[in-house]
Amino acid sequence: MARAVWGIVAREFLRFLRQRGRLVSSLARPFVWFVFAGAGFRALFAGLLGMVVLFGAFLAALSTVTDRDAGVLRLLLVAPVPRGAIAVGKALGATLLGTVQALAVALILLPAARLSLTPGGAALALSAVVLTSLAAGAVGLVLAATIRSIENFAGVMNFAIFPMLFLCGAFYPVRNLAAPLRALAYLNPMAYGVDLLKHALLAPWSAAGYGGELTVGFDFAALAVFAGLGLAAATPLLAREGGVTRAAFPGERR
Amino acid sequence: MIEARGLGKDFGAVRALDGLDLDVGEAEFFGFLGPNGAGKTTAVHIFATLLAPTRGSARIAGHDVVRESLAVRRSIGLVFQEPTLDRDLTVEENLRFAARLWDLSGPSAAARIDELLGQFGLAERRDSPVRSLSGGMRRAADIARGVLHRPRVLFLDEPTAGLDPRARRALWQFIRDLRAASGMTVFLTTHYVEEAEPCDRVAVLDRGHLVAQGTPAELKRAAGAGSLEEVFLARTGRPLVVADAAAVPPGPER
Repeated sequence: MARAVWGIVAREFLRFLRQRGRLVSSLARPFVWFVFAGAGFRALFAGLLGMVVLFGAFLAALSTVTDRDAGVLRLLLVAPVPRGAIAVGKALGATLLGTVQALAVALILLPAARLSLTPGGAALALSAVVLTSLAAGAVGLVLAATIRSIENFAGVMNFAIFPMLFLCGAFYPVRNLAAPLRALAYLNPMAYGVDLLKHALLAPWSAAGYGGELTVGFDFAALAVFAGLGLAAATPLLAREGGVTRAAFPGERR
Repeated sequence: MIEARGLGKDFGAVRALDGLDLDVGEAEFFGFLGPNGAGKTTAVHIFATLLAPTRGSARIAGHDVVRESLAVRRSIGLVFQEPTLDRDLTVEENLRFAARLWDLSGPSAAARIDELLGQFGLAERRDSPVRSLSGGMRRAADIARGVLHRPRVLFLDEPTAGLDPRARRALWQFIRDLRAASGMTVFLTTHYVEEAEPCDRVAVLDRGHLVAQGTPAELKRAAGAGSLEEVFLARTGRPLVVADAAAVPPGPER
């Protein structure tokens, strides 16, 4: 089973390397923000990493929709692998992609942001990136298993990715949001990930209002809950896609 | 090898499959013949553990499809109507991915992949992305993928759909070679009578019901018919294939 999970993760990474456009855009996006943000960049650095994780991991999980079209999802379902392992493999693939992209951006932009990181802060930032990628990947899997085709992609961007991006504290502190929006933000796994990144990266500026708002322990717990619930929900949703689908009935097509 | 007892599947009010009793022996080449919508794919998906039966039971290589689904999946290979290959990866990468899913260790997988690529005439295209292959080559790669783990039963669900005559002939040659080399049971679903003629035994399915079963010669004798096509007509009062009659493919030779 470990080999199967590794196989799923390795394929995700290989696909990522193959798709040059994805590689370039994942690295270019934060630089565009960097140019726009200018002087305020340091304060936005945590949010920027959160954005890279969101796009990296969430979009990787959403690629499960194209797996279904290509028949690869069906291949996974006839492989002698427990259903849960498929969801775990896909989520770990998303975790790897989110983490790799966040690390690449961090290594390039850290000097520009003139942030000095303590070893503890770096370790906390890394675990924040990994766990946030996992949570975003697991939630993305649930969405991917629910939508029928990638043609809904504009809808996904408008109703999932943009709200997750703007209601996570990446650009605007969650505590300053209006109450209804704040409530929505706390339903967003990214809010806890970005909060954790602020703890890790912006601790010296917490007096100025840039640091984390929740406790580190609470952030970790919330991300773990999102990851666990996401995987638990995605497992049966992915499995139902294996057989003759509901769309094929009444009457077996072809 | 395949044992079905009173197997049935409903999709809402539609009875896709009803009261199917079937016994397919070791190393048998078994044809499952019927028009589109007869329930052939539904039966294969139940055997492959992709769908749970509504009624009855089925065992593959001695394992129950519901209670021992992992053991069933380990002993079967499947080639679906639609390919299950990742078009962005190369032929070899696709096979390596499948090898990991079926838990083949690195060295033995590499040797097996070399062997199959040679056998299926894909050795020179091993590093080509699947999207650059012809339909026949893709199908060959998909069959190689299906038999990578040396399954005891190979399910071929309308394997020649969308292939030109040359590719069809090549495919039947692969199947003949595989059967000669491994003695695996082959379960073929098709709505082309010509493809069912060389089978050891044939079951004829119509609207979810088995209407005849036996060797092609027995069925023809019993119905006083000259071909399996006429057997179907005699049993159901309807022709087997209407629209496709003009585009009859060459069947497998024995």
